[in-house]
This record gives sequence, C-alpha cells and structure tokens, in this order.
Amino acid sequence: MRLAASLGACLALGAAWLRVVCAGSAMGDRLLVLVPTAEAAGGYSELLGSLAERGFDVSVRAASNSSVALHVDGRRQYDHAVLLAPAAKRLGAALTAHSFVRFVDDGGNLVVVGSSDMSDQSRKLAAQFGVVFEKHGSRVVDHSHHLVTDGTGDHAVVAASRLAAVPAVLSPQLLEAPGTVYFRGIGHRYDPSNPLLTPALTGAPTTYSDLSGDEVLSGRQLGLVSVFQTRRNARVAFSGSADLFSDAFMRTTQSRNRQLVHDITQWTFQEKAVLREVARRHYLAATGMQPEHYRVSNDMVYEIDLSVYYDDAWRPYEADDVQFEAIMLDPYIRTTLNRTRSSGPAATYRGDIRLPDRYGTFTFRVNYKRTGLANVDVKDTVAIWPLRHDEYPRFLSAAYPYYTGSFVMMVGFLALCAAWLWSAEPSKPVTQAKPATQVKPATQAKPATQAKPATQAKHTAKSKPKSS
Amino acid sequence: MVGKVLGLAVADQASLLRLAILGLISIVAIGSRLYSVIRFESVIHEFDPWFNYRTTRYLVNNGFDKFWNWFDETAWYPLGRVVGGTLYPGIMVTSAAIYNALHLLNIPVDIRNVCVFLAPVFSALTAVATYYLGKEVKNATAGLLAAAFIGIAPGYISRSVAGSYDNEGIAIFLLVFTFFLWLRAVRLGSALYGALAATAYFYMVSAWGGYVFIINLIPLHVFALLAMGRYSNRLYVAYSTFYALGTLASMQIPFVGFQPTFTSEHMAAMGTFGLIQLVAFTHYLRALMPAGHFQTLLRAAVAMLFALGAGGLVLLTMRGVIAPWTGRFYSLWDTGYAKVHIPIIASVSEHQPTAWPNFFFDLNLLMLLLPAGIYFSFRELTDNHVFLILYSIFAAYFAGVMVRLILTLTPIVCVMAGIAMANVFETYLDFRGMTAQTTGAGDTTEDAKAPATSAAAAAAASVAASVPPGSPARPALGKRLYAYFPKAVVMVNFMYFLFMFQLHCSWITSSAYSSPSVVLASRAPDGSQHIIDDFREAYYWLRKNTPQDARVLSWWDYGYQLAGMADRTTLVDNNTWNNTHIATVGKVLASDEDTAYELARRHDVDYVLVVFGAMLGYSGDDINKFLWMIRIAQGVYPNDVSEQAFFTADGQYSIDDSASPTMKASLMHKLCYYRFNEVMGAQGFDRVRKQKLPSNVELHNFAEAYTTENWLVRIYKVKDLDSLGRSHRAADAFNGPRPAAPRRVPF
Repeated sequence: MRLAASLGACLALGAAWLRVVCAGSAMGDRLLVLVPTAEAAGGYSELLGSLAERGFDVSVRAASNSSVALHVDGRRQYDHAVLLAPAAKRLGAALTAHSFVRFVDDGGNLVVVGSSDMSDQSRKLAAQFGVVFEKHGSRVVDHSHHLVTDGTGDHAVVAASRLAAVPAVLSPQLLEAPGTVYFRGIGHRYDPSNPLLTPALTGAPTTYSDLSGDEVLSGRQLGLVSVFQTRRNARVAFSGSADLFSDAFMRTTQSRNRQLVHDITQWTFQEKAVLREVARRHYLAATGMQPEHYRVSNDMVYEIDLSVYYDDAWRPYEADDVQFEAIMLDPYIRTTLNRTRSSGPAATYRGDIRLPDRYGTFTFRVNYKRTGLANVDVKDTVAIWPLRHDEYPRFLSAAYPYYTGSFVMMVGFLALCAAWLWSAEPSKPVTQAKPATQVKPATQAKPATQAKPATQAKHTAKSKPKSS
Repeated sequence: MVGKVLGLAVADQASLLRLAILGLISIVAIGSRLYSVIRFESVIHEFDPWFNYRTTRYLVNNGFDKFWNWFDETAWYPLGRVVGGTLYPGIMVTSAAIYNALHLLNIPVDIRNVCVFLAPVFSALTAVATYYLGKEVKNATAGLLAAAFIGIAPGYISRSVAGSYDNEGIAIFLLVFTFFLWLRAVRLGSALYGALAATAYFYMVSAWGGYVFIINLIPLHVFALLAMGRYSNRLYVAYSTFYALGTLASMQIPFVGFQPTFTSEHMAAMGTFGLIQLVAFTHYLRALMPAGHFQTLLRAAVAMLFALGAGGLVLLTMRGVIAPWTGRFYSLWDTGYAKVHIPIIASVSEHQPTAWPNFFFDLNLLMLLLPAGIYFSFRELTDNHVFLILYSIFAAYFAGVMVRLILTLTPIVCVMAGIAMANVFETYLDFRGMTAQTTGAGDTTEDAKAPATSAAAAAAASVAASVPPGSPARPALGKRLYAYFPKAVVMVNFMYFLFMFQLHCSWITSSAYSSPSVVLASRAPDGSQHIIDDFREAYYWLRKNTPQDARVLSWWDYGYQLAGMADRTTLVDNNTWNNTHIATVGKVLASDEDTAYELARRHDVDYVLVVFGAMLGYSGDDINKFLWMIRIAQGVYPNDVSEQAFFTADGQYSIDDSASPTMKASLMHKLCYYRFNEVMGAQGFDRVRKQKLPSNVELHNFAEAYTTENWLVRIYKVKDLDSLGRSHRAADAFNGPRPAAPRRVPF
C-alpha cells in the first residue's frame, strides 16, 4: 500500500518533471508578447504558433495595455518577453525602458524589435545594451541584394546573408541552408569590443543605412540582428526589423527567416546553449578529502561538473578548453582541465594540480566564457598555509658539517669539564702540565696530571675561578 | 634609641616596613591605572592591543600548538600573515597562563578581563623590580623611592593603563628586571645570576622588539668597562653566561630566529663577546709573559685584530651577509631620515621626534633629578654606576628621537631620581649627628647599608603622603632648633615637590592617558558626559550585516580593530610589514573613482571604510591622514600618485570647492563628503578643516552602506559590475536621480 503510494508520488513527480522539460526553456515558460494591437498579432501567427508548439505559455497583449506589468510586488511575472511593437508611442503605464532593464537585470529574457519609425522608448532601452539604432526614419538599403518580386525590386527589403558563425546561437541548418534573410527596417551601431554583445546578422558591403549623416553606416558596422547576454546570463536579442518575424517574410521563397527567427528565439529564451556548473570539488590528492586549508606545494585535485542544455534536456558539456586558475592577485596556476567522464547529465573536468610554493589566500577560479554560451564563472576562496613548524625537512645533508661541529663541541666541552673536575687538586707545584691535560682525552688526563710534578700553583689558582 | 616594636628587632621592623611600603606602592600603581575602566568600561584600547587581544583569544581557544602555527588568512588579504612567526608571543602566553591558572583554581575570569588588567598588574611588578634595581645600585631607600616613582610616572603609565594591552605593558617590567639581574651578576661575578638575566632576557625577547635595547646596552656596558680598564673575571663570567645563554634562548622565538647571528643590531653584542674573550686571553697571557714582550705583542695583536674586524665587518655588510641597518634604525640617528625615505614610519605619530614639553609632561620632577642622579653615580662610579650612566645617556638620546622611547627612559629616570632623592633624605633626615656638634650636611658617600639609615629612609619614603616625623633628640632646644631648621626647610621643600609630582601624575593619568580611543567622550555645555561610540557601532554593523568572508578596505590604522571587533577580512593592518600593499590601499583611496574601482575589484574588496570627523570635529580622521596615504602611495607608485596634485595652486590643502581637481576626484574625498552637505545644509562647515563643504560630490561606483550616528565612520559597498556592461555612471544616469529617502538626522 505504502509502496503504491510512494510509487504514485514518484510518478507524479516524474510527470511534473516531464512537463517542465517539455517547456523547452531551461528557465521557465511564461512568455509575454507585446504587439501593437490585438489585430496585428495575426501577422505573426507563424512565430506565435512556433512558440506555443515549443511549450511556452504565451500571453499576447497589446503594447498599450496598462494592465500589463513585468513585475508585480517586486516579483517577475514573465520569464521571457518579446517587444514586437516598435512604433508604439505609448506603451502600457508599467512598460517603460526602466521596467524592461529591470526585467532583464532580474533574469528575464527579452527580444526587442525595431523599425524605421521606432519609438524613443525602445531606442532608449536598446541604448542601455550598447545597441544604438539609427536616426528616426532611416532605413537599411541595399541596391544589389534585395527582394525581387515579379521583376520589381524593393531596395529597402534587404536580402541579407552575412550571418555570424556563432554555432551556439545560430544553428548549422541556418548557416548551411540556401537563401537569404529578408530584412526591412532600421540598422544599428554596436561596439565590436563589447564582450556581451554579439552581432548575429550584419550588412553586406553594399548594404547601408540611409540618413546616416556624414559617416555612412554600412557593411559589417551595420548591425541588423544582434544578441546580448548579460553578466547574469539573461539574454536579449535586437532586430531592426519587425517584418523579419512576420508571416509574410517567413513565407517568401528562398527565405531563411523562419530558421533565423527560430534560432534567435530559441537562444534568447534559453532553449539552448545554456551552460551551467552542476558541482565542483577540490580535495587533497592524498586523502581525497577537502581540508580546512591547504599547505604550500600540496598535490590537490580540482573537479568541476558542467552540463549544457539543449533539445529539452541537460546533457554533458564537452569541450577541451575548460581552464582552471589559482589566483592571488596574479594567476599562479593556469591549466586546462581534462574531461574524465560524462556521467548522466554532466561532464566532469578534472585537474591534478600541485599548489604553488606560496602561502596566502588563493582564489580557485573557473572562468569559462564563450560567445553564445552562458557564462560559468565560479570562485572558491581557499587559504594556503605555510608548513607547520615540524613539517620542515630535518637533517639536511648540506648541514652535516654543522651538526658534526656542534656535537664535537659538546663532546669536547664535556671532556674538558671532566678533565677539570676529576683531575687531582695539585698539592705540589706543577710544571707545564696544563697543555697535556687540555689536549688529551679525559680518561688519560688524570694519570697525566698525577704523574708530572707541578710548579705553577699560582697560575692554576688564578685561572680556576675564571672557568668555574 | 629605638626599642622593640611588636616584638620585632630594628632590622625586622625595617624589612616589614619596606614590605608594607612596596605593597602600598603596588596598590597605588595598579589603582592609578584604572581610571579608564571606571570612566568607560573594561575594554581593550586603541589599535595594537586589539591584535594582541585577538591573538590571545585564539591562543586560549585553540591551544599553543595551533597558535604557534597560525596562519591568519583574514589579514593582509590576499597575502595572509604568518601570525605565529611574526609576533612576540610573550604577552599572549602570559595572559593565557594567567587565564588557565585562574580557571584551574575555579575562578571563571573572562579572557578579556585578564587582558585588560594585565598591564596594571605588571606595573606593580615593575615597581618591585625597580626597587631591587635601586637597592642593587644604592640602597633600599633609593629602591623604594624609585619604585614609588615608576609606580606613578606618566611616561610609563601612558603604556600601561588598564585596557592598554600591549607588549610594553609587560616588557618594561622585564627590561628593569633583566637589568637588575645583570647588575647583580656583574657585581657578584655569578654565573647563576648571569643565567637568570639571560632567562629574563629571553622572556623580554619573547615580549617586545625593544629587547634590542638590552642586547645593545649590556654589551655597551661591558665595552665601556673594558675601555676603562675595569676588566675582571666577574665581568667575564657574567657576560659570557648572559650572552651565550641569552642569544641561544632568543633564537627560539620564531620572529627573531637567526637574526642575532647576522643583523647589524645584534653585531655589537657579538663583537663584545669576542672582545671579552680576547681580553681574557690577554690577561691570561700577561700572567705568563715578561712585561716587555707582552706590550709588543699586545700592540701588534690589537692593531691587527682591529683592522681585521673592521675590514671584515665592512666587507660582510657590503656583501649583504650581515643585514644592513634597517630604516627604522637609521631614523634613530637622523630624525629627518624617515620623513624622506620611509613615510610609513614617519606617518606614525609615536615615531615623531619628541617635543621638549613632552619630557616634562611625562616625567615632571624626575627629569630634574636625573642629572643629580648621574652626578651621584659619577661620585661612586662602581661597575653598576657606569651602567646607570650609560643607560641614562642613551635612553635620553633615543627618547629625544622618538616619542614612544620615553618609555625606555622612564625606568632609569626613576632609578636616578631615586638615588638623588635618597641622597637628599640621607643628608637631611640624618639626625644621628644631632647629639654631636656637626649640623652641616653629612657625607653623602657614606656607607648607607646601616640598618638605622635604611629604617629612617624607609620612613622618609612613606612620608610622601604624611608629615615628616621628627626623631627624638637630646641636646638643648635652641641648639636643636638651630640644627633642625635648615634641614626642615629643605625637607619641606622636597616634600612639596614630591607632593606636586604626585598631583601632576594623577592629573596626567586621568586626563591624558585614560581614554580608550575606541570610545570617545565629549562634554555637553551643561557638563554632562556624552559617549561617542561610533567606532564600535560601525564595526558591529559590519559584523552583523556583511557576509563572514567580506573584505573591508580601510587605511591600515583600523586593520586590527576591524579584525578584532568586526571579525572581517582586512587588506592592511597595523602590522605594517608590506609597504607595497599599504601603498596600494593608499593608491585606491587617492585615485579617481574609476581607477579605484578597478583596483578595489582586483583585490576583491567588498566594503570600504573611512573615518570622517568633520561633523564631530574629530581631528584624527582620514582626511587629515590623507597626505600620508598619498605620500606612501607615491613612494611605490610615483607615476600614478603625486602629492603636489592634491594641493591647490597656492599650496593649500583644501577640501572645499577650491580644492585641486585631483583632490576632488579622489576616492577619499568623495567617500568622506558624499551627501554630507545634505545633513549640514548649504552653509555647511567642516569642523576639522574649518572650511566650507564641497558643493557637489558625485559617487557612482560605490554605494553608501552605513554611516554611523555622528558620521565618524562611513562604510561603502563596492558595487558589482553592471549586469548590462555599462559604466556605473551611465547606469546611474539612466536610472535617474536617487530617490530622496528620508534620512535620520543626527543630534
């Protein structure tokens, strides 16, 4: 009976787990899509259908809806949000650039979509991530690559194909597939040195942004779609084109839009490339136990279990570039960890490390940051103590002369004392007996003094108190 | 003349009296050091004592073995400190022994109270040791007087009030006691006393770095005696025993280690040891050889040895075998040296040269009696007196170089004053001559061992608090008056001086040396006392509101207190062993916000603590110490920090709107004055600098975490990197002005 009950509980738990897994995202499934108006949602049925199919609990709301709030009582209401209303002048009262920044800061994932007539609110929001959209009204234009329908071309619908080779974000299917990505909208500037921001789609050399002013934004500098991962692993995607996501562009022949949108949303909503540290251990190689503190030059083992999430499950993460550092102001050790085994959902990386011959507070750190993957940056502060007073090597071979010296000294001193103490008090004056007694060993001293008659009694008496 | 009292003979009465007087002196010595406990509470004072207290607690809780091998990873983050090997364990071991002994007797005393009251108790022992020293060099009268003096001399009290749990608290006792044993060893030529002196010296080495004073003064004494042609076998026995045993023993302290064999500070002792062997050998040779040959040999040998020795010393020093003199030592000879070369030493107030009023302040009457004591020592000039004279001269010199060394001067001044006063008493309280016709001053060099004199002198010593007694005398009244009068006048005068001395000492002790400095006191206009407890408030906040392993950056002055009271990791503390690390902290505080932020993050700093006295008018705050931080930082990072840049164009050290841009941009300035004008108002005023407040202080990379009641301590949190990769300035600009939260207003 009890067995059946616990079995039932297990099944229920398993079912719950399955349901979570089915959600697709490693984080959660509450998804908010903000569209300009309720009717406009019809134009994105492909996207919404795909999201729902992937297990998201999609709420589609008009952007101007005042009842929509990202946080209620300080708690995040959604795990993911898509801001598909670039031009909406008035967002809901609770939907300001600040609230979106807070949403992302709090771990929410966000897709921000722009257009030529995008609102200041959206620009301001994007600017916080280092994505600077072009002037109001500007469009991305390409006179060589553009959509041609029925012999007439619209130069503002750019046929972009400069996809960044970031396998963590863009799938091989997308990169290898034929066709182009259709893009109609606004371009943005980005800082290529920003480690958090990765351009996913940029302009071709012939692509440029009109109304750029003196410095025409074109080619690689012209960002079309960019992805951003915060230091806390929240993800944000920016696209200068809302049409990119629309049914119309997805259904166009030779269009790779569908796959691109799929990849971008999958990445942004943490359905893939989510890396995490499951566990980590460090211990003495000799005992296998983690000590309270290490000693200098200890041999120790550091292990870290990494798993990565994709295709609805946590799987072992396999790479050959996971590095370990032991840092005290500067790294004293930086070594690559070896993958030892992949047990269950995690792969174990292990390093057999000899600690530096330097005491202090060290930080054991694995700082693994790869484009598109979630950051793993784990630190352990560990004290390395100097040797105990009785752990230093004793009896160094180099010091044998000194040991010998000290023992000879001791023996000599004892011999001298013995000679002095047990030599007979000279009753008669002694003649030159002194040198003989001092040089010869104690056992012979006594007969020597006795044998020789002494003459300098005065001297003996005088020097006696000196050494007493 | 004197009959039996309580069935005791005169000699027994005298020793009973002496015992009673010594007991009273001890009580006075302890009692006068308790002001701080009565006024405030039984609390550890100042800075260094907090370290000693913390280590003592560690010792009591973890045992000696762990203490010996203790590596403190919470100090000097991330370097750590090998505590067991870098401290003088004497005071901790002493306290722990007392603590354990009391607990063995089922007296459950808190270790804090043992620590607080250790120094007063040891001051009583110092008085006893001084008595023996005085008795050794003159007689019991001088001893008692010296004991009474050292019991209350402010120069010693300054380092031994209750709560001042520092090495000096026990080290002065050991200093005096070692010297006493040494003098006795020399006088008796006793290997036993030499060995005892070495033992006391070992205890001293374990307790205080000032042991170097002993290991230089005693060889100097020996050397002076040799130079005066006073070599004797007594001296040979005493010094050989003392040096050999003392040096071997001192090397057992890990912090000292092999220093006695290679550092310059110990070379004099070793050289003297060699010299006395040579001299002894020469004396031996002289007994064997004809005088003429001996003279030739001696001259040749002396010249050769001198050349060899000096050449060898120079060579070894140049080759670096003998460690060169340390900076702290140079600063003993050239008072300007530290200021130029080692700002970290010059920045400590107790390392400043002594201003002359300090001598009077700390020693008062005794300072005037010192020359008299030296004079009397010259009159007798036994081996012991040579020592006293040398000690006086050297200690007086060093006391003039560094304020804190008045401490080593105090014992000898007390002894010398004791000798001088004893001479005065012997002369003017000698009524034995009353029956005879001589009424003038007695012979001061007269043998003073007679019991009657001792008794009279002992009585005289007790007179300090009562009326001078007259001895019964026989001659006619007129003649007696004529004989008494000059003596009475002199004695009344001296009694008055002694009385005033006592008053001065009590007053100084109570007003200047009994403040714990952890707790401040101020007086309201109506005379009521107001306790300012901001330091402990801040430390307690840290203790209760920050993670256990939080790292707090502050100037090194507060390191020991942070470790002791807040129990948090510090970057630098009062054990100033790593100048670079201190300079780095100085650089953090002197740099602009962004550089400071980067440095702080590199050092894993979580909180920054500054002491800010502008609201209270507390002049020992960080802005006033700031110039030293800049100087120390400049010494190590001359390209990044420049002292000149912190002054205005006309060379003023100002903090208001006219301050130099570097000053205004510096982290220290920002942390101190951030939001200060909100509480002080537009017409706000810095009460320490007497300047107007800077009008606009912006702070982005650090967030105010806590400010104490009187704004004395301000704690800031180092912000995390912005999640979106923005600068904090940009993030703050985006977030808009900080909401004006209601602040509690002090007063």
